[in-house]
Amino acid sequence: MREILVEPLARVEGEGGITIRAEGNRVKEVRFDILEGTRLVETLVEGKTPEEDVSITCRICAICTLSHRYAALRGLEKALGIEVPEKVYWTRSLMHLGEMLESHSLHVFLLALPDYVGYPSAIAMLDKYSDEVVKALSLKKYANHIMEVTSGRMIHGENPTVGGFGAYPDENVLKNIAQQAQEMMPVAELAVDLLSGLDVPDFFEMDTVYMCCEPGNDTFGIVGDQIRISTGEVVDAADYKNLTNERVVPHSAAKHCLYRDKPYSVGALARINNLGERLTGRAGELYKKLWNKRWQRNPIFNNHAQAIEMVWALEQVPVIVENILKHKDPAIVFPSQKDGEGVGAVEAPRGTLYHYYKMKDGLVDKANLIIPTGQSLEDVERYMRKAVETMLDREAADDDIRLQAEMIARSYDPCISCSTHMVQLKRDS
Amino acid sequence: MEKVKKKVGLYGFTGCNGDQLVIIHSEDRLLEFWNSADIQSFSLAKSDNTESELDIAVIEGSISNQEQAEHIKAIRERSKMLIAIGNCACYGGIQAMELGAATWDQRFRQVYGNKTLDVRTPVESKPIDLFVHVDFYLPGCPIDAGQFFYCFGQLLQDNKPVMPDHPVCAECRWRENECLLLKGKMCIGPLTAAGCGAVCPSNNLPCMGCFGPVSEANVASEFSLLKEKGFSRESIKNRIRLHFGSGVMEPLKKILGEL
Repeated sequence: MREILVEPLARVEGEGGITIRAEGNRVKEVRFDILEGTRLVETLVEGKTPEEDVSITCRICAICTLSHRYAALRGLEKALGIEVPEKVYWTRSLMHLGEMLESHSLHVFLLALPDYVGYPSAIAMLDKYSDEVVKALSLKKYANHIMEVTSGRMIHGENPTVGGFGAYPDENVLKNIAQQAQEMMPVAELAVDLLSGLDVPDFFEMDTVYMCCEPGNDTFGIVGDQIRISTGEVVDAADYKNLTNERVVPHSAAKHCLYRDKPYSVGALARINNLGERLTGRAGELYKKLWNKRWQRNPIFNNHAQAIEMVWALEQVPVIVENILKHKDPAIVFPSQKDGEGVGAVEAPRGTLYHYYKMKDGLVDKANLIIPTGQSLEDVERYMRKAVETMLDREAADDDIRLQAEMIARSYDPCISCSTHMVQLKRDS
Repeated sequence: MEKVKKKVGLYGFTGCNGDQLVIIHSEDRLLEFWNSADIQSFSLAKSDNTESELDIAVIEGSISNQEQAEHIKAIRERSKMLIAIGNCACYGGIQAMELGAATWDQRFRQVYGNKTLDVRTPVESKPIDLFVHVDFYLPGCPIDAGQFFYCFGQLLQDNKPVMPDHPVCAECRWRENECLLLKGKMCIGPLTAAGCGAVCPSNNLPCMGCFGPVSEANVASEFSLLKEKGFSRESIKNRIRLHFGSGVMEPLKKILGEL
């Protein structure tokens, strides 16, 4: 038995690993192990106030902290009959874009790229690629600044709250952010250039299904109450249970998601594959130049999709700032009902995130959170398996197989802290 | 002669990785940090990690399975100094919240059903000092970057960092905020350690306690004050338990008995 192990899988958020077992050239098992400890977050929020809920659930993950907060707010506000004024919507849109830019720049430049240029880390790349690394850090710093200004703090800011914001960002600060968006554009374009110059291996390509929020109005976007599927279907997010079918798979042991018994992928690549034709401006140009049908069959292009989304986000920032500044600061909106149910769906940087709440007497009675990494997990393993099978046939060395599997897992930009309830289970004999 | 750099390892156990991200998010200072020490292990940021003898082990996250308990003991054995960063390492974090009624076993079954776990053996989340000796604590959810670089710099030079031992109310007053308790909001600033710069009250929002308990908190007085403002015992208890982690119920029970 030949065994190739990666533990821990470095340069991903959280504690994970890869297990590959083969006999001769035959693959016995390819697993993406989620080793992160359990936190039972869904049970922690029961009996808590809506404000306490967002304070807990944003802490599921430090990279997607604002996506969790936003999904929670959308779910809770639906359940409590709260409709927020436009300024709240636009300020939340800005914070959401800030997080996408922060997460994508971290992933593309610091976590994914080192593999392609043969370095163990972005810091080690400094000698030869100092210009690129310093530019990447400047974009990340800019994105962190947006998160800090809108949410009160870079990580786990409490300012976005149920019914609105505690305080609104200063007008001059916002204008600066809008102006700086243009200065940051060359960095996002650098990401596009670096990635489009790389050879993407094709030997593990195959079809899958892609899912993302449907933003409506024929626009590209990252929130929505409906879900668009690459099969052409559009389904209400409230039907999240049938969309995701989160369940325990006896053979592989982690909670996986399937749609109509088929694996699917979420994330930047899903959004670009499903909605890319709607992109306008520079992002639209880049999409037309770079996108081809291989993107529908190869998860490595998630890196490229993230780079295009960074360009899109930077083009959006000034538009959104203008919309924020059109409105006076509204007061926080209070609940109109104490009981109800609601599903909040948003696109976290790494895919669709659902927060379901049932409220009773103003407190959380039940919560169900479905996170992006769990939804893509079946596909991560499927693509790794196909790569390993081919490489074994080609008599590749263990190190090369290991690196290729890591690159596939990493391209999904997995967020393992979010995946707390994906754990190894003993096989039932 | 060039001074030999201290060997440092950063490790993430159960949590959100937010404290290591605070370090990565420091951008310009990240490069200085990287050069100030010999970073042997930091798997969130690099893949060439070595598990060697360390001068300083920096630990984020709580212990939530037996394998982690063994891992942290092994790190302790090869480290001259071990510091806990963030609420999860210091207090167990939100996942160590003392919920009262439902036991951890019951809640575990609620999420996972009646399955036996393989590879890792989960246990109720605990702060790291229940498993190993901790030389220095830096709480916060997440930690404050300024506080971290100050403390880390001092520790590199073998000095003991001085940490604030007052509640966040002091920082709140420095920022000239109007006291939210006087406005009838459920603010637990008087119980919470300083360090964040009173960011929530400065945004008109009550303190949720995310820097953990201050050492000499007057819990009884805060409790009676909030009760006077019309909050129920249960709601006050919930708020105090939110971010204060494991071990908070013992003193609370005593106070609740007296009230």
